[in-house]
Amino acid sequence: MRFPLVLSGLAAASILLAAEAVAPLGTYRPMERRHWAFQKRAHPAIPTFSDPADQAWAKNPIDAFILARLQKEGLHPAAQADRRTLIRRLYFDLTGLPPSPQEVDAFVADRSKDAYPKLVDRLLASPHYGEKWGQHWLDVVRFAESDGFEYDTHRPDAWRYRDYVIRALNNDKPYDRFVEEQLAGDEISPKEDETIIAAGFNRLAPLRKNAGNQEVASSRNEVLTEMTNIVGQAFLGVTLHCARCHDHKFDPIRQSDYYRIEAYFSATEPLDLSKATPAEQTAWKAKAEPVQEQMKQVKMRMKGSSPDQRAVLEKKLEDLQEELPPPLPAIFTVSDDEAKRTDVHVLIRGAYNAKGGHVGMRPLGVLLPDGAPEMPQDTPKPRLQLAEWIVSPNNPLTARVMVNRIWQYHFGRGIVGTPNDFGRMGERPTNPELLDYLADEFVQSGFSIKHMQRLILLSNTFQQSSGASDAAGKEKDPDNKLLWHFNRRRLEAEEIRDAILASAGNLNLKAGGPSVIVPIDHELVQALYKPSQWAVTPDESEHHRRSVYLIAKRNLRLPFMEVFDAPDTQVSCPRRESSTHPPQALELLNGRFSNQEADVLAARLLYEYGKDRAKQVDRAYRLVTGRAPNPQEKRLALEFLKTQPLREFTLAMFNLNAFLYVN
Amino acid sequence: MPEHVRITRNRREFLFDAFCGFGGIALASMMQQEQLRAASMNPLAPKPPDHPAKAKAVIFLFMAGGPSHLDTFDPKPLLNKLNGQKRPASFGEAKYQFVSTNARLLGTKRTFKKYGQSGIEVSDLFPHMAQCVDDLAVIRSCHGDMVVHSAAQYQLFTGRIIPGFPSMGSWVIYGLGSESESLPAYVVMPDPKGALEAGQPMYTNGFLPAVYQPTMFRPGRRPVLNLDLPAGINLDERRKTLNLIRDLDQANLDAGNSEFAARVNAYDLAFKMQTEAPAIFDLSNEPEKTREMYGIGKEPTDDYGRRCLLARRLVEKGVRFVAVVSGGGPGNLQWDAHEDIEENHLRMAAQTDQPVAALLKDLKHRGLLDSTLVIWGGEFGRSPESQGAKGRDHHNLGFSMWLAGGGIKGGQIVGATDDIGLRAVVNPYHFRDVHTTVLNQLGLEQNALSYMHQGRRERLTEVQGEIIKQIV
Repeated sequence: MRFPLVLSGLAAASILLAAEAVAPLGTYRPMERRHWAFQKRAHPAIPTFSDPADQAWAKNPIDAFILARLQKEGLHPAAQADRRTLIRRLYFDLTGLPPSPQEVDAFVADRSKDAYPKLVDRLLASPHYGEKWGQHWLDVVRFAESDGFEYDTHRPDAWRYRDYVIRALNNDKPYDRFVEEQLAGDEISPKEDETIIAAGFNRLAPLRKNAGNQEVASSRNEVLTEMTNIVGQAFLGVTLHCARCHDHKFDPIRQSDYYRIEAYFSATEPLDLSKATPAEQTAWKAKAEPVQEQMKQVKMRMKGSSPDQRAVLEKKLEDLQEELPPPLPAIFTVSDDEAKRTDVHVLIRGAYNAKGGHVGMRPLGVLLPDGAPEMPQDTPKPRLQLAEWIVSPNNPLTARVMVNRIWQYHFGRGIVGTPNDFGRMGERPTNPELLDYLADEFVQSGFSIKHMQRLILLSNTFQQSSGASDAAGKEKDPDNKLLWHFNRRRLEAEEIRDAILASAGNLNLKAGGPSVIVPIDHELVQALYKPSQWAVTPDESEHHRRSVYLIAKRNLRLPFMEVFDAPDTQVSCPRRESSTHPPQALELLNGRFSNQEADVLAARLLYEYGKDRAKQVDRAYRLVTGRAPNPQEKRLALEFLKTQPLREFTLAMFNLNAFLYVN
Repeated sequence: MPEHVRITRNRREFLFDAFCGFGGIALASMMQQEQLRAASMNPLAPKPPDHPAKAKAVIFLFMAGGPSHLDTFDPKPLLNKLNGQKRPASFGEAKYQFVSTNARLLGTKRTFKKYGQSGIEVSDLFPHMAQCVDDLAVIRSCHGDMVVHSAAQYQLFTGRIIPGFPSMGSWVIYGLGSESESLPAYVVMPDPKGALEAGQPMYTNGFLPAVYQPTMFRPGRRPVLNLDLPAGINLDERRKTLNLIRDLDQANLDAGNSEFAARVNAYDLAFKMQTEAPAIFDLSNEPEKTREMYGIGKEPTDDYGRRCLLARRLVEKGVRFVAVVSGGGPGNLQWDAHEDIEENHLRMAAQTDQPVAALLKDLKHRGLLDSTLVIWGGEFGRSPESQGAKGRDHHNLGFSMWLAGGGIKGGQIVGATDDIGLRAVVNPYHFRDVHTTVLNQLGLEQNALSYMHQGRRERLTEVQGEIIKQIV
């Protein structure tokens, strides 16, 4: 991404001449059109096997494609994981929560043939499924509940979008509809809360506001840039944003393509749609106006006051801010405002005041015949037009990109290793036939995400053990790109926190609603530009809710989340890192949260088993790691407990690999 | 998979394979060896630079809010002559955050004198720093793209005007690792008076893995979050808990896994940090004379003096990048002198001048200045026009920063602004050029130090920067 060089004086004037012209529609060389991701999906034949053992293993098409590819390299799939491993894997994968000891026992004891498929269906139907999978999508769309930048103003209604995403996933809303609603919900159905909330997607980006002189055109340009970039990143998996200042250096995306996509958003304006009744609004004003009047006076007094006085007045202002009645419910969304339409030009070097040729709406040129015209500027419901093009069954990118994301979240790595970049600089698919098969299946199923997941989860590929003992595999495919075993993974930040709460018996499973602000170290709050923004949720039981319901504030991320690689919410995060470093150990050993919950778990064990140490150890292992301790673990733990407090043992449990990793 | 993780993983797998090769070795012994190797699995283990380095560490004295170049390092007699008049059209246009086009020029009340052998002019705001001018390369021709704090601060630290990109410090430790195992690699010491406009995202690792995040120091004797044991737990007890964690992890059937060895290493380092770092944070170990030199124990220098001294102690122990921030909280508690340049800058300079000079002298005395690059500057300078009667607005078109130590040739002035200090006109240097120069002194090359993100090979300098040749 490049950002505006502000061109001034003569340079800007000469460019104005170019602004009168219309940017050419562009042509794309056959070579450029030939890139694999722009090709129509192939309909690859499902591989067949002559060996009965292979036939038995390749029980679903996914397995057939995987096995065929492995055999090509002389590799073999790993054995099936045991039941305890499978249930823990499935629980975390689908709900982000650990299975309870009873659930583990019941599954291990259930010898019926359909025990596993039944478990898959049950978890796909769990309300916690959307809380886990919603977070994946929230990472991609850089969801946050504050503006970022200097003021980092809170967006008190943004949680409705978060709940919308969770709901959509729980209800298996068809992905095409999901895309359309987010890009154009307000255009689809301007009276329906659900779709209007979804359209809040277009406002999720950081937003820069500043005091003093406003450069309106520059600010508008920043907003349009964000709306445009995310289309490439989230839906199309192309680095459209690289074509903002110049033609794309590697992919056949012209700078004019960038602005033609931007043109779909040219009339899009932010809208806070009040959900309050007129009576509520009147009542709100009656309470707010006296406070606002006082605030105005304080601001007047601030002018020309000494620094000391000023600090006092700032404090006064913050106090007054808190006296304001809580904001009335509204929907954080967008709408089209023809009167405010931005005239879209190619911007030379991306500078907002360096207008090149004029452009109108058109999808990516490389996916159209040469010379395909722009749409007329007065085309109604422009964003819906864009969305319909994106989700058209023939769009070669959309389905591939989404099935690749689904695959990645189950296996730790996509078939394409760069989920936001299917261009030439991205990785090539490790198994292109499988990718096309899955994309086709996705479209055929009516874009059902859960259908794809069921297919994946029931495969033998998914049920492989994570033990990597095959020497040939280690040599030929050390990164396990071809999946000759399952990828062990570290729990994600939210999973660690939620699982600690769950095993301590302290997790509040309440779903949805406004986000929670938990207490954190005073110094961290003081490091905010406006410390009063961190208004801790008064109801303490709320502090133990799932992490997806904690406030996503751009300028203050919880240190606990930060050390475990939670994304920073400023830019789209297609895949989280999984790093290992000392501050993680310090957080889990000395941090306020883990110590608090170690106490709670210790109290739980005492309450349940009195002083029976053997039972305490057994129970702690089952709660925290999903399995009983092995004899050596049990011996070590009991030895420790002879001299050391139970709460140190429970704290140790939260630090174990057996807890932090899913096999 | 991002490249550096892939490399680490491959190396680990390689080691693992190597051990597997010795068929006769018992599993336990193999695991032991794995753990011995874990020391090299520290992702922050020192890495060789791209080319021979002159500097090993950086101390960035960040003057937040934007100190005036016109009242510190860039004397403009003509500005005093034109005091109260409108800016002559010949100087061209400028856009400000607050002041309008009909604002009047404001002369400086400061007096400038030449110091040292180099004869560099410094204003009477900085009598102590003036004694060090022969070590400073004063760049009078800095410029940036943004005139508001948050975006300008992002550009100064990350090279971008929007949040979400890694800061200089994160890039540097990504490139070089750290020389210290018991201290964080990259430290930010904010001003305890409060936060800045750009907030935490300006200092952070952006899309780089969390291992490259900064450690934000808090005021007081225990500056690092989570370094203290919880109340009621003593170190001996905690050591036993750590041993239990290690033993239980070993007893796990998968203990031989190489990634787990890296975790064992992280816990060892965490414990080391916990036991060794507090002594380094404790300034009472320093001789009284040194503390006095930094202005510790008296106002208004005590706070910044402590942080500068701590910065020296950290760098001495191998910390790679330290930012010591002057200014925080409401604008006038920063160098953000909108209302009264005199009142603001006299106060801010009095807090920092002696500590900064002490830091330079102390580093030099200890032979550390040669390997420590010190940077002084803000996210912009201040306007030649007045805001209100006595203030100055933000100003990004031309302002001063200085570099010292770390192989920088001091006693020089680089570039120049025009005669009223409006615009950098001789050898202008953008933030990207400063970044490139900083990387160069550390032995890093701006194009080599990159990270694949969203289809682009991102680096600190968005647009190719230029090394400031005159001073390296």
